[in-house]
Amino acid sequence: MKKLLNFQTYLPLLFGLGSTTLLLGAWWTVSLLTNNEIPNPLSTWTVFSEMLATPFYDYGPNDKGIGNQLFSSLLRVFSGFGAGSLLAIPLGLLIGSSKTAFRLINPIVQILRPVSPLAWFPLGLLAFKAAEGATVFIIFVTSLWPTLINTAFGVASIPQDHKNVAKAFGFSRWKYITKVIIPYALPHIITGLRLSIGVAWMVIVAGEMLSGGVGIGFFVWDSWNALSLEKILSAILIIGTVGLLLDKGFDWLQKRFAFS
Amino acid sequence: MTSNPITAPIDSASEFHKIQSRPASIEVKGITVSFKTPKGVFTAIKDIDLTIKKGEIVALIGHSGCGKSTLMGTISGMTAPTNGQVIANGAVVKGPGPDRGIVFQNYSLLPWLTVYKNIYEAVDSVFKDKTAAEKREIVEENLKMVNLWAHKDKLPGQLSGGMKQRVAIARAFAINPSILLLDEPFGALDALTKGSMHIELLKLWNLDNRNKTIVMVTHDIEEAIFLSDRVVVMNNGPEATIKEIVEIPLPRPRNKKEIVHDPIYMETHDKLMSLLFDKFSIEDE
Repeated sequence: MKKLLNFQTYLPLLFGLGSTTLLLGAWWTVSLLTNNEIPNPLSTWTVFSEMLATPFYDYGPNDKGIGNQLFSSLLRVFSGFGAGSLLAIPLGLLIGSSKTAFRLINPIVQILRPVSPLAWFPLGLLAFKAAEGATVFIIFVTSLWPTLINTAFGVASIPQDHKNVAKAFGFSRWKYITKVIIPYALPHIITGLRLSIGVAWMVIVAGEMLSGGVGIGFFVWDSWNALSLEKILSAILIIGTVGLLLDKGFDWLQKRFAFS
Repeated sequence: MTSNPITAPIDSASEFHKIQSRPASIEVKGITVSFKTPKGVFTAIKDIDLTIKKGEIVALIGHSGCGKSTLMGTISGMTAPTNGQVIANGAVVKGPGPDRGIVFQNYSLLPWLTVYKNIYEAVDSVFKDKTAAEKREIVEENLKMVNLWAHKDKLPGQLSGGMKQRVAIARAFAINPSILLLDEPFGALDALTKGSMHIELLKLWNLDNRNKTIVMVTHDIEEAIFLSDRVVVMNNGPEATIKEIVEIPLPRPRNKKEIVHDPIYMETHDKLMSLLFDKFSIEDE
């Protein structure tokens, strides 16, 4: 019995070890098949640890540490995502609670949602006259849709029972919004935010390849120009890890605000 | 049997007449409710007239889908009648109001609010002019009344069905309505919990000097007899009407254990059974 319990405890660790081996094995095979044109994990690790050793150095506009790159990317993502959410949540609440608003706004959402956020980049340039603003702008556009749609869905699916309580006891509009609509929709809103930040983190890499400057996306592109595939692979690992952490953060929030 | 001096209702008749001489609390006048459905217009209840006196307990009974909840809805103001009107406390019902406290079929507590907050938000909505301290006092008093003060910080999901129902009842009482509307309030409870809830409800009603009018929807004959002064039996829908109003002249306070042996109880029970069921066994062809 005790042995079984121990095995259960170590199981996730074993699986973790298993998938790491699988990834490294596949990587190494590809590396061997391409005659090390794709660097193997070991040489990548050497470059990776060098990058991590001095993450915040700054030798001018085209040579900054990985920490600096990551930080400016995260800053852009959170600015765009924050602004997008500030618009998407109230708009979602409106669309979800009013049929008129839904019928007016939904077609617009449906036609704009499938557009690649990068298509907005020139408009961003025009509006902000700078690549920086344009990059934040495309993240803003990216972050809108999942949050908007999920919030609206959450509000629209409030059970009649909860509405009845508000009606029977004469809740004011404000009380209805703060004590019924928002608490009910909150798990849906957080799901929307989680999807939004996930897409935003994907889009930022492409966006920064267009905009240049500082950022993890620019770093990948710059490393390609410098033909340092080790740096590119390291950056991919970093992007993946940060994306995972962002997702885990919102997953935690989701659990925190779930009501049974 | 009825002449048995121990079980005969000594003052029930006079008690009943006392109620009937009181002013009307609810007047249902020619109420019809129709709904538009994809298949056409569906009329749930038709031309219903009913007067309920102040302090009276009335049960609406009938088969599922007979429109008893719809009738209740027109009194609470949650359902707008197609025709006719309901007058509650002298005013035409145009929507829900604080003079009518509702206990919903499935408790309808807000799952993200604690027991305390669930009641507080209702009290806060109704008594806008009271201070926060006064409102807190009302919540405390009502939670203690249903013995749930110890559970005030729990979420509804952490409570049993009976406890949730007590919170719902406390919430309805907290706004101090003159009319209490209960829509199948004990339907989801087990028989034991149900029994003690009946007694608790009557206790609360007594505490308030039997001044509150209570209308309840049920499909439980025993429950209807034990609690009410009159039982309104409804026909099966669509276009349901009142089949018969049965008076329950049993004296109060009623004892749950003894009442079942009372000949009046048995007689009334039989009568209600006959009104509700046409057949009593498969041989009754």
